[in-house]
Amino acid sequence: MHSALSIHQSFAGRHILLTGASGFLGKVWLAMVLHRVPTVGKIFVLLRPKALRPARDRFERMVATSPAFKPLHELHGADMGEFIAQRVEVVEGDVSLPGFGISDPELAARLHRELDLIVNCAGLVDFDPDLREAMSTNVDGAIHAAEFTRRCTRARLLHVSTCYVTGLRNGTIPEALDPDFSPCGDAFDVEAEYAEVKAVSEQILAAHDSPDAEAAALAETRELMRAKGQDEGNAMMLRNILRRVKRQRLKDDFVAEGQRRATRWGWHNIYTYSKAMAEALIARALPAERWSMFRPAIVESALEYPFPGWNQGFNTCTPLIYLLGGWFRHMPARIGNPFDVIPVDFVCRGLVVSGAELLLGQHAPVYQCGSSDRNLLTIDRAIELTALAHRKHLRERGGTALERVLLSRWDAVTTDLDHLFSVPNIRSAAEGLRDWLRETKFPKFMRKGADEWADKTDDALDTVETIDKMVDLYQPFVHDNAYIFISQALFVRAVVEPEFRCDPKTIDWRRYWVDTHVPGLRKWCFPLFENKTPPSYAPRHPFSLPRASEESVSFHSDAHIDRAVPHADLGRPQLAAQHAEVL
Amino acid sequence: MNHRNTAAFFRVEGIVLGRGVLAASAYIAGNAKKFGERALRLGLVALAAPVHSLLGQTDRALAHRIVHLAFRGMTEDRVTILAEEYAEDILRSKILDQGVELMKRARDEGRRVVLLSDGVSSIMEPFARHLKHHDELVCNHLEFRDGEATGKLIDPIIGGASGGKWLRQYAAEHDLDLAHCTAYGSHGPDMLLLSAVGRPCAVNPDFVLRRSARDADWPIIEYHD
Repeated sequence: MHSALSIHQSFAGRHILLTGASGFLGKVWLAMVLHRVPTVGKIFVLLRPKALRPARDRFERMVATSPAFKPLHELHGADMGEFIAQRVEVVEGDVSLPGFGISDPELAARLHRELDLIVNCAGLVDFDPDLREAMSTNVDGAIHAAEFTRRCTRARLLHVSTCYVTGLRNGTIPEALDPDFSPCGDAFDVEAEYAEVKAVSEQILAAHDSPDAEAAALAETRELMRAKGQDEGNAMMLRNILRRVKRQRLKDDFVAEGQRRATRWGWHNIYTYSKAMAEALIARALPAERWSMFRPAIVESALEYPFPGWNQGFNTCTPLIYLLGGWFRHMPARIGNPFDVIPVDFVCRGLVVSGAELLLGQHAPVYQCGSSDRNLLTIDRAIELTALAHRKHLRERGGTALERVLLSRWDAVTTDLDHLFSVPNIRSAAEGLRDWLRETKFPKFMRKGADEWADKTDDALDTVETIDKMVDLYQPFVHDNAYIFISQALFVRAVVEPEFRCDPKTIDWRRYWVDTHVPGLRKWCFPLFENKTPPSYAPRHPFSLPRASEESVSFHSDAHIDRAVPHADLGRPQLAAQHAEVL
Repeated sequence: MNHRNTAAFFRVEGIVLGRGVLAASAYIAGNAKKFGERALRLGLVALAAPVHSLLGQTDRALAHRIVHLAFRGMTEDRVTILAEEYAEDILRSKILDQGVELMKRARDEGRRVVLLSDGVSSIMEPFARHLKHHDELVCNHLEFRDGEATGKLIDPIIGGASGGKWLRQYAAEHDLDLAHCTAYGSHGPDMLLLSAVGRPCAVNPDFVLRRSARDADWPIIEYHD
């Protein structure tokens, strides 16, 4: 029988380094620990400078404007600055750089000496990003985290990964890590794969520097300009468009290469492929007593902390839910497939619990934090709840009578891939209509109208194309594969403090989805799809860090120079890091 | 006078609320997931309506069972959300003020106010949150299995002919003196309920109840706009 775990005691006086603090998960975790673990030592927050804004300013702005810190602001009021300065030290650096890019050797040495725990939340969560960006943030970031941990006197590494590193498999997924694992079952050597990615990336870069590639890009640019009726003789415009075209062609090739590699080994996409590589590399780099993998499933809106419904940015199921709020209603998904959603505050509590066990040296190698094996939510239920949540909103606050009366009753349904109204069928019907409108010999007076309708159909086809891509992206998760992620390690020991208990059995999916999650997405995330700004937050007492507490250190001076030469060296793809989002 | 062990029983439909079970069933059935399903379920409710009206004069238990068959196969999520929506958007505006006044009066007299409803708990519980002056709601419950409605009501069914028997059992459990209890009914099947208490009262009675109330010399209350 295990004794109960006290979070307050486990974290008492312990110093922690947090990466990825500007992301959805990192922010909530930071706010929660500062709020609910009064015994914790210093929290060092590693942040990149961005757009000429030093890390300290970024942190200050983040705390001052992010609703994630609302409970802390309400608790400390005018003393918030003082409180944060006592508890937090901002460290300027970058996970994608060796040694986390910390330029001050004294600070690095102090961190190596003092740190007890490194929580690596940094990660790029786009499903199919540029391979260089994924490698830089997810893989190199993990390698640097492991290396930094190894240099520390006693620090241990809690690495945030994802349940989906297990790739395209079915059935029950245990909480285990095999560094030589590939979902397709072929022998996989992560170091060889890493080296191969680097080599292939060099080849792609070299190919894009060739005269043939240059000529192809120029031809594409001219074609684009002709299509838009732009003047090809305008040298400056030509140069600008050419630069954009070349950048896009390069990115497309890197995305294609990443997708090819992910598919070859049996992962869903570049995200899960790179996160799996990161896990394997950490497991190889550090002894088992110094790391734990923390694998959340699909992280979504907060149930309770910082407040119900808090969400940020484009999270995993946001586009899906957004899509189902419109006229698209036939969502291909397999009835009964688990949809492993877990609220962000449950994930943060789990992260704290696993961190406490790691600090005590009583940790599991892998903590999976999902809901499928403890409180199953199926995809068809999620789709129905989404429809009901949209209905509720549209009936009460729909912008037009059409939305209030018809769209609110236009419920999304779960269908097979080959349903009559599937996206490919809609597309082929629309293409047929467009071609008929264009090719039929209408009387003169009808010709103009037919052309207009053909153009409208073309616009609709663009939307259908976007939907098709999105459906394809989600297909492995909602249709092709059915996983139950075992989440046991987090619940082996009872937790003394009730505010850190994270058993998803307590979640009432109906209330969460309809009253909390979808309204939260509508408020905080949907505006981003519509090129609008989500509501801003400003604490009652303006927040700033006391000037005297300034302890951030300067960034690598050469790193700034490197940023001006994007993608010159895959080992240091700083531009990639600029785009990196964090989990 | 101390009414600690006395209660006032109110039939909700017709006394506190101006809508019945059929309308609620039609609303939920008409908002099923798929369009075809909506038509089919609404059709079922439409077919059940005359049966409900006929049986409703004597024993509503069977009538309620038939009407709620239209829910079979609907998810608990959908039924619950639609029921809340119906309670909020439709029923709230159908509360009869005079009925609320009767409840208030009974409460002021120190009686335990018990609402009896033919409706299902998914609808009546959210609705009852808008009503003050009551201590308990007793209503029907839909059976759900694996997250889906089976279309069955869980026994005992409120509104049936066993109202008197149910009332005596309830009185025994709550140590009530039925001779000093009040009951307000509005339909024929409420007769057994009203007969079981010492102070029966017919409110806006239908033909059957009106005739019985006159025969038994029970007070009759008519609401006027």
